[in-house]
Amino acid sequence: MSEGQTNAATIAFEQVEKGFDGKKVLDKVSFTVAEGEALCILGRSGTGKSVTLKLMIGLLTADAGKVLVEGEDMAALEEDGLMKVRRKMGYLFQSAALFDSFTLNENLALPLHRLDRNKSPEEIKRCVERTLGEVGLEKDGNKMPNALSGGMQKRAGLARALVLQPKILLVDEPASGLDRITACEIDDLLIKVKTERHTTMVIVTHDIHGARKIADKFAVLDKGRLLAFGTPAELDQTHDNLLQQFIAER
Amino acid sequence: MLKSTFDSIGKVALFGAQAIRDAWVPPFEGEYLCKQLYEIGVGSFFLIVASGFALGVVMTLHTRSTLVQFGATAEIPVFQSLAFFNEIGPLVAALLMAGRVGAGIGAQLANMRATEQIDAIETLSVNSFKLLVVTRVIACTLMLPLLTIFMDAAGILGGFLSEHIWSHLSLQLYVHRAFDGVALADFVPPTLKTAVFGYLIAVISCFYGYTTNEGSDGVRKAATNSVVISSLAVILADVILVKCIFFLFPDQAI
Repeated sequence: MSEGQTNAATIAFEQVEKGFDGKKVLDKVSFTVAEGEALCILGRSGTGKSVTLKLMIGLLTADAGKVLVEGEDMAALEEDGLMKVRRKMGYLFQSAALFDSFTLNENLALPLHRLDRNKSPEEIKRCVERTLGEVGLEKDGNKMPNALSGGMQKRAGLARALVLQPKILLVDEPASGLDRITACEIDDLLIKVKTERHTTMVIVTHDIHGARKIADKFAVLDKGRLLAFGTPAELDQTHDNLLQQFIAER
Repeated sequence: MLKSTFDSIGKVALFGAQAIRDAWVPPFEGEYLCKQLYEIGVGSFFLIVASGFALGVVMTLHTRSTLVQFGATAEIPVFQSLAFFNEIGPLVAALLMAGRVGAGIGAQLANMRATEQIDAIETLSVNSFKLLVVTRVIACTLMLPLLTIFMDAAGILGGFLSEHIWSHLSLQLYVHRAFDGVALADFVPPTLKTAVFGYLIAVISCFYGYTTNEGSDGVRKAATNSVVISSLAVILADVILVKCIFFLFPDQAI
């Protein structure tokens, strides 16, 4: 459960610090995520879990330390470089963040139109239908996001995150606001993506049941510091009360 | 207060300069631009035409009551056309645009920011500034001169109907009198200055919407600021542009 440093690290945090309005949210956090690995980040609300994801995809910049994605220092990249790295990544937002003035089809087609100009409209249509089919929304492509339930919006958000076939998938609270059954469906979809596409995943969650199903490793954050990092089995061996509160199945 | 005002002006100016620079850099968002042109142009058409028509009627009524005292009612059409071409058309179209489109842009972008939709665009490797800001700036800049022409036409038509009811003046004679003595310089520069108004409205509204980060309160502030600041900017810019037109076309100032 030491701070892992893997050679084949797809994502690496090196002594990362981040604060807002003088309050430190992340304090010297270091960990790595290997290729094809699923890391679940656990911890109380406000401990910097979502900030960690936003640092990985370059929506935020670290105050100190380095965030490396496939060896690229996210803070040092120019706009073009950042876009290239982001092409390898998908991001499922907590609220799904679907474009509310677009249909689901248009939501998914948006990056395809722009990033692969050689793709014909038919190819884009097929790609959108196939991706929506993977999340069970093949019949809902013409619907607007506000016509979907919370669970469907999450699945649509996941479809949009997957449409560019990312090597890395970042997921923010996949179970939030969902009932247990729907949350399990989302977990199953994530497991399917991981096994079939060998996608590297970083998932921020409060749902320890889901986390145990998906994760190869846990990272537990508390008050901005990395409390523990390791496989679920490794962390289960610890007797730290605070840690056990985060990782024990209730 | 003064420092923060200048700070805001500086930020808006840089934001607007970035929009101009990015407008020339590919990839171009043609499809989304067409959508914005339609929403801004066609969406504002009825408001502009209806307002222009009503203003035309009211203007003629006011002008008539004054000119009738001097026996100069024959001059009503040309007063009407000059007033609309020079000032009423461009300014009122811009202020209506600031109210309708400016508030819409500010609120929509602020809502997209609050609901992480703008972040979502960025995570998809799409340049959100080019997609959301540049397209709106181009659309407003192109559509406002066009809408101004429709407002001018509606105003002159409203004036004609009002005058026709009073004096049974024929359309042919009204149009002849309205355009007699109107030079190209009376129409082209004031109409083109609305491109600047459109640019200002779009840049200011996009700035307040795109850069907010305060949730639903940010949406309210963005919508309010978009209308208030862009209306003020249009009026101030009008002063400067009218002065510029007088400088470039001295005959206009006489």
